[in-house]
Amino acid sequence: MREDPVEAADKSSELLYRHNRVTRVTHWGNALALMILFMSGLQIFNAHPHLYWGSTSEPEKAFFSIAATNEDGDVRGYVDLYGRQIDTTGFLGVQQGTFGPSARAFPSWLTIPTYYSLAGARRWHFFFGWLFALNGLLYVFYNLVVGHMRKFFFTFGDAKKVPAMVAYYLHLRTTSPQEGEYNPLQKMAYTSIFMILTPLVLLSGMAMSPQLNVAFNWLPAVFGGRQSARAVHFILAFGFLSFTFGHVFMVLTQGVFNNMRSMTTGWYRETPPPAIQATQSAPALEPVDAEDLKADADNVQPEVQAPSQTTVRADTTAKPAQAENKSVANSSVQEEEREKNDEVKS
Amino acid sequence: MTKLSPSFSRRNLLLGTLQGAGFFLLSGCDKIFDALSRNDKFQSLLELAEHGNRRAQRLLTGRNQLAQEFSAKDISPKFRSNGNPPPITMDYEADAKNQWTNWRLEISGLVQQPARFSLAELKSMPSRTQITRHDCVEGWSVIGKWKGVRLEEMMNKVQPAADAKYVVFRCLDTDSDGNHYYESIDLIDAVHPQTILAYELNDQPLPVDNGAPLRLRVETQLGYKHAKYIRALEFVASLDKIGQGKGGYWEDQGYEWYAGI
Repeated sequence: MREDPVEAADKSSELLYRHNRVTRVTHWGNALALMILFMSGLQIFNAHPHLYWGSTSEPEKAFFSIAATNEDGDVRGYVDLYGRQIDTTGFLGVQQGTFGPSARAFPSWLTIPTYYSLAGARRWHFFFGWLFALNGLLYVFYNLVVGHMRKFFFTFGDAKKVPAMVAYYLHLRTTSPQEGEYNPLQKMAYTSIFMILTPLVLLSGMAMSPQLNVAFNWLPAVFGGRQSARAVHFILAFGFLSFTFGHVFMVLTQGVFNNMRSMTTGWYRETPPPAIQATQSAPALEPVDAEDLKADADNVQPEVQAPSQTTVRADTTAKPAQAENKSVANSSVQEEEREKNDEVKS
Repeated sequence: MTKLSPSFSRRNLLLGTLQGAGFFLLSGCDKIFDALSRNDKFQSLLELAEHGNRRAQRLLTGRNQLAQEFSAKDISPKFRSNGNPPPITMDYEADAKNQWTNWRLEISGLVQQPARFSLAELKSMPSRTQITRHDCVEGWSVIGKWKGVRLEEMMNKVQPAADAKYVVFRCLDTDSDGNHYYESIDLIDAVHPQTILAYELNDQPLPVDNGAPLRLRVETQLGYKHAKYIRALEFVASLDKIGQGKGGYWEDQGYEWYAGI
């Protein structure tokens, strides 16, 4: 593991065991599954790049299409949404190939496989669909049992704090309304992923199955028909995509190394409030060059965690920063202990 | 799950951007996915999902449960057709002109009483009419009204042997290389109440585009299983020796044999 000189010198920060092993493994399994499901899904969509509401796909009734026109050899791609057309030549609808332009809704670089293969894409999609579902079940059951999910379950109390949290992000408010490990907006995002997006994406996918249409006649009907289920499935895929963009943006801006470490090893470095930081860390920063110092000062600014809670958790799950540099074997033993603690606690 | 603080550190942003860029550069991912798509061993791993789909979906489906049936007002204005163009042989065109009087459905293979049936004979048998939705593997759906004889009815006449496991549908249409279309289903789907050999679409004799004179409706599965232009039925114990051994024209080209999803 990489040792950050600034962090190592900073004796006041502490490592918290934040993500249990099941969470870490399922997180990365989920990331892989979602990427493959999205890209193979786009390939499947390419076989019929139109969306409809209702049971059937009457050609003139598509509300969304990705298509191409050819006027005297001028091939242009466009997206049509309720009759409004946007030219997307170069990205959607048409793609330049070795033999000139050809109609293709989503471009090769976004699909699995890159070449046109509906059969191949379906095989990828169903395999990783199972993985996504089973992985999600494992995560939910384990974390319900150990009580982890309670920490980010969005409640009415959290709903009331959403405006304050938004204001805090927009720098219109100096204190965060956060209590506990997750802030109200995080809780809202994660809860809606688990309670709305995931069940709906699975059900709308299954609603397209003829066999399940036999087993459960009501399944396509709850979406308004099979083609509606297909449209919902497509739209939800982009819901997952935007969540992923937001999630990755937060990781990029809130500390890549620390967040990646906590999602691979479980350990997250908690920095105390700036007041404490300023007095304790100043001498330790001497050997570091000015540029780093400045960046680090940015890094440790406002602290979201309520100080009282930091202290409480320091007793139970925190360990001193110096202990970070220990052997792998040692660390995994400790990790197991933490995992046990985690379970016992809940 | 990230711990949020509104500070956007330059160092972290830079690191993150570099990592992101690295990820996309490393994502010769595209190449990896393509290579895996062409790797037989990896493909058999992915095919586990097909078996999972079949087992799980069959488990959830009662044997006599029916696919959703619609009302006359739901019928699509045009029943879209797909696949090979209609057969263009002299025999086919002559048969069509003669209202299929010379056409026969041949039933053979592992059956106790092989038989041949004319279209008139099929039409004189008890029929089933159903307004169902046809779902193409490409994603589109159309609703049509079908009339035909239940496959189970035909099985009662020819008496499949105990070791018969599949029905193979031999078709008159060919692709541009001259390969005949064929399909197969197992006996679970064969005896499903809505599995019929259809000779009418929307109260008219089955049009040439939709598989005249006889086509399969197997409402538990996607469109490519619904063989058109049927010439013969063959009851078999294994699909290995037929076509390229995958159980159907599209299956030989990589599509799943079980097309319930």
